[in-house]
Amino acid sequence: MSEKPESYEAAVERLEQIIDRLDSGQAGLRETLDLCREGQQLVTYCAAELDAVGEGLKELRLDELAARLEQEPAQATGD
Amino acid sequence: MEQQSIPGGDEAREAAPVRADPELPGPYGVGGYARMLQRELRRRARVLLVGEVSGLGRSRTQAFFDLRDDYGAVPCAIWLNDLERLGLPEDSLRDGAEIVVGGGPDYYPGSAQSSPSFRFRATHLRLAGEGDLLARLAALRRQLESEGLFQLQKRLPRPLLPRTIGVVTAERGAARRDLVAGLERRGWRGTIVWGFAPVQDRHAAPAITTALQDLAARPEVEVIVACRGGGSLADLWAFCDETLCRTVAMLRVPVVSAVGHERDTTLLDDVAAVACSTPTHAAEAAVPLDCTAARGQLGRSAGALERAAQGAVSQRGRHLAALARGPARALQRERLALNQRTREIRAAAARRIGERAAFQRRIAMVVLGRAARRADESVAAAGAARRRDGEALRRSAEAALSRRQEALAQTRVALRAHDPERTLERGYARAEDSEGEPLTSAAGAAAAERLRLRFADGSVGARVEDSEIEREEEA
Repeated sequence: MSEKPESYEAAVERLEQIIDRLDSGQAGLRETLDLCREGQQLVTYCAAELDAVGEGLKELRLDELAARLEQEPAQATGD
Repeated sequence: MEQQSIPGGDEAREAAPVRADPELPGPYGVGGYARMLQRELRRRARVLLVGEVSGLGRSRTQAFFDLRDDYGAVPCAIWLNDLERLGLPEDSLRDGAEIVVGGGPDYYPGSAQSSPSFRFRATHLRLAGEGDLLARLAALRRQLESEGLFQLQKRLPRPLLPRTIGVVTAERGAARRDLVAGLERRGWRGTIVWGFAPVQDRHAAPAITTALQDLAARPEVEVIVACRGGGSLADLWAFCDETLCRTVAMLRVPVVSAVGHERDTTLLDDVAAVACSTPTHAAEAAVPLDCTAARGQLGRSAGALERAAQGAVSQRGRHLAALARGPARALQRERLALNQRTREIRAAAARRIGERAAFQRRIAMVVLGRAARRADESVAAAGAARRRDGEALRRSAEAALSRRQEALAQTRVALRAHDPERTLERGYARAEDSEGEPLTSAAGAAAAERLRLRFADGSVGARVEDSEIEREEEA
């Protein structure tokens, strides 16, 4: 698998399918190695998604965000 | 308006028109018209109105306020005397309070110095009860449901693991703290965008609506939580606001409603994608994935993949090795099987031979038994026959013997009759040659020259003197 998963849930669903297939013992050698490679990519993706929401709670205020966004275009125009 | 007599109308009519008037009655004096208007309004039926108080003010004699709902407002006034007579709790009449007023429309015509005004003259006033609000809520619920607005949010996909959550709540409310604690318990430490808004007054619903719209406009916000602690239905009334609920129904981002406690049901709960009873529950709905558990599960999945990858090769290697040893094992297996079969065949043959011999023995015994019986029977029969034959034979032998003895006797008699000796006894002699052979012819006697004449009592020698033979004439 070379494409990035659509979402965390899509990645987890595909990962479960892969593990079920491997557990069934019906996959051939080539398929097993391909599935393992794809599964490892999915694990990496999921781990990155979990890391993204695991580094520390970040809190923003909507009014501050709006003010910042209003400033950014002004700065961009000034440049 | 029907034609009426208006005070001051004649004076007004005397004023010269500047330009041509439309075909209408009048002109009438405005003061008269104002008083007529006052009479007309005061004749209207007295009713009860329910709405929210806003713009409350007081004069020395009256309290003034606007009574509002989502569709409009009516300016109201109540004499302070009337208000005191009602005996309401202090501060019952305040901005944001849901009240029921009883009265009718009134018009103050004003004067040359004072401004006219329209008021709903309240003579009765009470705080709106749950029943009033529930009736309004039920009607609004039916309306929104009939428009299909309850389903729109529920059809939106909700992410399992959002990175950014929008939250609308009161800045200093306990709900804010509880929601953050709930998110952290799930191991979620992403980004929260707070849209703070008042959650309990007449400004609450518009402010909450604006905050929800602003949060939904942020592309990074994947789900929005609207939360507030518990309270009476009147306290939670902002979350039953029709405009707010219609706005939420149309948002592209799923909204999790967590207003009040389990027993409180607002209209927002019906419209939202998910309705939760507590901020903690809302945290679970906003981030369905338990991140702590998911990290553990992901580790196990990674381990399973690693083992599968390694095992796939080593297992096949072992399988190949086993296959390589296969032919020798197969031969050995076949050999063992062959030996086994040989032993089985031998055993079976021996068993078969034994069985056959036993069978033959049994057959022989039967046959021999039968033969013996037959032989015994035959012997018995033969014995009987022999006995019968022996008797007959004996009888026959005796008869034959008797007959032979008789014949012998007869033969002896006959023989004796023919015995030459007996002939000699009767006086005849027998000529014999020197050898003792009888001479039966004259020629033989002539040839022998010497002969012996045997008589009954002995013999004497003789000689042939005349060898001529004289023939006897036949008679």
